[in-house]
Order: sequence, then structure tokens, then C-alpha cells
Amino acid sequence: MDSILSILREYGVLLLVGQYPNGPLGGLAITLLLSVLGLALAFPLGVAIALARMSAFACLRFPALAVIYVVRGVPLVMFIFWVYFFVPVLTGRTVSGFTTMVVTLVIYQAAYLAEIVRAGIEGLPSGQAEAARAIGLNYRQAMTKVVLPQALYNMVPALVSQFVSTIKETSLGYVISVNELTFAANQINSSLMTQPFQVYFVLAAIYFCLCFSLTRLARWLERRIAARREGDAAAARATASAAIPSVAPQQAA
Amino acid sequence: MTMSSSSTPLIAFDLVNKWYGDFHALDDISAEVRKGEVVVVCGPSGSGKSTLIRTVNRLENIQGGTIRFDGNDVHAPSIDLNRFRSQVGFVFQSFNLFPHLSVAQNIMLGPVTVRKHKRAQARTRALELLERVGLASKADAFPGQLSGGQQQRVAIARALAMDPPAMLFDEPTSALDPEMVGEVLQVMKSLARDGMTMMCVTHEMNFAREVADRVWFMDQGRIVETGPPDEFFSKPRSERARKFLADLRSH
Repeated sequence: MDSILSILREYGVLLLVGQYPNGPLGGLAITLLLSVLGLALAFPLGVAIALARMSAFACLRFPALAVIYVVRGVPLVMFIFWVYFFVPVLTGRTVSGFTTMVVTLVIYQAAYLAEIVRAGIEGLPSGQAEAARAIGLNYRQAMTKVVLPQALYNMVPALVSQFVSTIKETSLGYVISVNELTFAANQINSSLMTQPFQVYFVLAAIYFCLCFSLTRLARWLERRIAARREGDAAAARATASAAIPSVAPQQAA
Repeated sequence: MTMSSSSTPLIAFDLVNKWYGDFHALDDISAEVRKGEVVVVCGPSGSGKSTLIRTVNRLENIQGGTIRFDGNDVHAPSIDLNRFRSQVGFVFQSFNLFPHLSVAQNIMLGPVTVRKHKRAQARTRALELLERVGLASKADAFPGQLSGGQQQRVAIARALAMDPPAMLFDEPTSALDPEMVGEVLQVMKSLARDGMTMMCVTHEMNFAREVADRVWFMDQGRIVETGPPDEFFSKPRSERARKFLADLRSH
């Protein structure tokens, strides 16, 4: 226990922000930055892939399906290597590990988000899109004004869960020396030499606290959204039954 | 030029055919709804009445024949579909209000998005329409807070906001609790009295008697008989219509 505390005392800042402000930012800060960037940039792409996947046009549907199946059928680490070795060839210049990781996460998450978005859209009653089209909204207007606002709201818990997996996936940045949390922990382990158990316990605890609290948040949001819908329905029933002369009290009397 | 407007067809079906796989959903439908006329479409479930009304604004495609709305071929590839749809009011059985928008926003969405009206102007109009359907106090409520009957009246106001020359009603009272049917029918009756062209799929026979100019009776994808409501209800010509009316009365 003492050794864990002393690791935290001595290396806590390194785990949190790396060598910043005297050196590059690293540790947990980079882990979070990668996760947020990865998911935020993947999101519009995921919506686009989802819409293409549900398109009536085969020329949009098939490429989207191909992306989704390929990405879901290949381990993330494989993608990291592909991006790591091929993006420099493609762009003709060296690319930092951080950029490599962001690009990888964006592609990878976009494919998963696309399926979440699709489920969100298909989960809406079909009457919503129909009613939008019936008042003359075109496809884009119906999507942006009616379908997506509802679908995305319903998707919030799934998005938080996806954020949790993204956080865990950033640890794979270690294999291409991205200076994130796992990489920082490994550096500490190398310099301490004798306390791998304690170092990796601290590492695991940080990931766990972060991901566990976010998972709880997702659960809480899910219940809140469900309760809100239930509340709406209950309010409607209450209004409706207020209009009927109540029979029950007479029976009781 | 002297021809009375009530004889001009606003909606004209000509040999309309539709199949779902092998199922012949609409079978050689030819009929007309004239300007200012109220037509009630009735028939047993599965007879194709909802399918028929949904083909008018192309929520359903057809495989044969033509449907003309104010002279324009609705199913022609060249038609500006969104512009056309914005001119036909459609009221659904399940209301289909947008739950994330307030009542006023539901009504304003079409005018603001499609017609590019100013928000303030669209809101004024929305409040007028809510007044007309008796829900002026609910402008800023959300659909989830309203009863079914109130939601359907908002849905009617939403359709009216586009100033449509005709309104289509697809079983507007079938999803309602019995005590809420009256308030919706009342709004529909007042529309009919104001001269709105209406095509209604409904089982509300009293509504049909009171406001319909003609009744179309459908069975198995065909229009079996048409006639003024008095005639249809008192002496239906076809055996199927007699059986349908007898079943309806026994409930």
C-alpha cells in the first residue's frame, strides 16, 4: 500500500499530464484527448455511414456496408498498424503517433457509431418520417428537423458507452508509442524496475474509476430518458382520464 | 367558364392498380373527388381504403393507372413531390406529432421549413389554427402532455397550416378512446362546412351521414359501390355492403 502511495506521490503528475508543462502533454490527458477527438470526429462520419447504409441507392449502401463489416471484422490493433504504415506513404510525410491514433479511432468508431445511429433511427416509429414527408419536408429536412433530433436523444446512453470503449481502446496507442496513460505507466515501471504489480494496479484503478463512473452515467441517463418518456405517457393518460366521469368512487361507495 | 366549381375533379383516380407481392391491394380503382366535396371511404379492414388514401400523396406507390390532383399526375417522375405534398393535408390514424417539438412548433415546422415563412408570422398563424381546433391554451405544451383527441386536433391544425386545397384523413378517430372521438369529428365537421375538399377513411357512420356528399364502399381492393350517404345506408345495392353495414350495426 505504501509503495502504491509513493508511486502516486512521485509519478502522479506524470500519469495525469505527462511531462507537461516542461515537455509534451501525456498520460491521462492524452488518453482523454484521444477519446474525445476520436469520438467527436467519428460522430458525423458515423451518421453519414448510417444514412448511406439505409439509403435506397445501392451505390451508397454497399460501400457503407463494406466499411462496417470490414472494420467490425478486424482487430483495432491491425488498424493501428495499417494507418501507422500506410498514412505516411499516402501523404508523403511522417505522421505522429497521436495523429495515427486519432485517424484510426475515427475510422474504427465511425463504423460502430453507424450501427448505433441506424438502430436509433430504425427505433423511431415510421410515422415520424412519414408525417415529416407528408407536410412536404424533403429528405434532408426530415432527417435534420424530425428524425435525427429524436434518434440522437435516444442514443445518448449508447454514445456514453461507446465513449467508455474508446477510452479503453486508446491504451492500444502504446504499441506505436503514443504518450498516453498506459505508455506513461509503462515508463514508470521501467524506471522503478521492481514494482510492476503496484504500477499496473494504479493504471488499472485509474481506467476503472473513469470507465465505471461513465458507465454509471450512461445507466442514469438511460433511466432518465425512459422515465421522461414514461412520464409523458402518464401525463397524457391522466389528462385523458380526467375527461371521463370517474366510475370507481361510486363503486366504492 | 360558367361550369360550377363543384363539378371539377380535384382528385381523380383512373384504373389505379397496386400489388403487395401477389396480393392485389388496389384493383382498377376509378373515381373522383370533386372540389368542395366530402367523400367518406368505408369498408371492411383489409379492403384497401387506407392504401388508397395513401396513394394520393404518394406515401404508397402504384403499379398501374394514374392519380391526378388538380390535373397533375401525382405519380409522374417529373412532379416536384415535396412541393406537391406540402399542398395536401394528411392526417394519420396515429397522429404522428413530433414529440420533441412543442404544439406550436409542430404546426410551424412546415410553413417555416418548406414555405420559408417568418417565424413570427408562422406562430401567429399557428395560434389562429389552434384557436380554430379549440386548443389555443396548449400552444407551448408538448404532444406527450396532451390526450389523444387533443393530439389529433393539433395534427389537423398542422396539416391546415400549409393551406391545403384538400385534406386526407386516414382513420383519424380509430386510435382514440371513445369519449375523445367527438371532439375530433367536430373539428372535421366544421372544416367540411367551410367547404374544404375532404377524403376520409373512417368507420364513423354518423359522421358520414351528417357531412359526406358521397360514400365509397370498398372491398377486396375494389370500389364496390358509391352513392350519397342516405342512399348507401338505407338501401345499399351490393350484398357485401349490406353485410358490412349489418356487422357495423351489431357492434
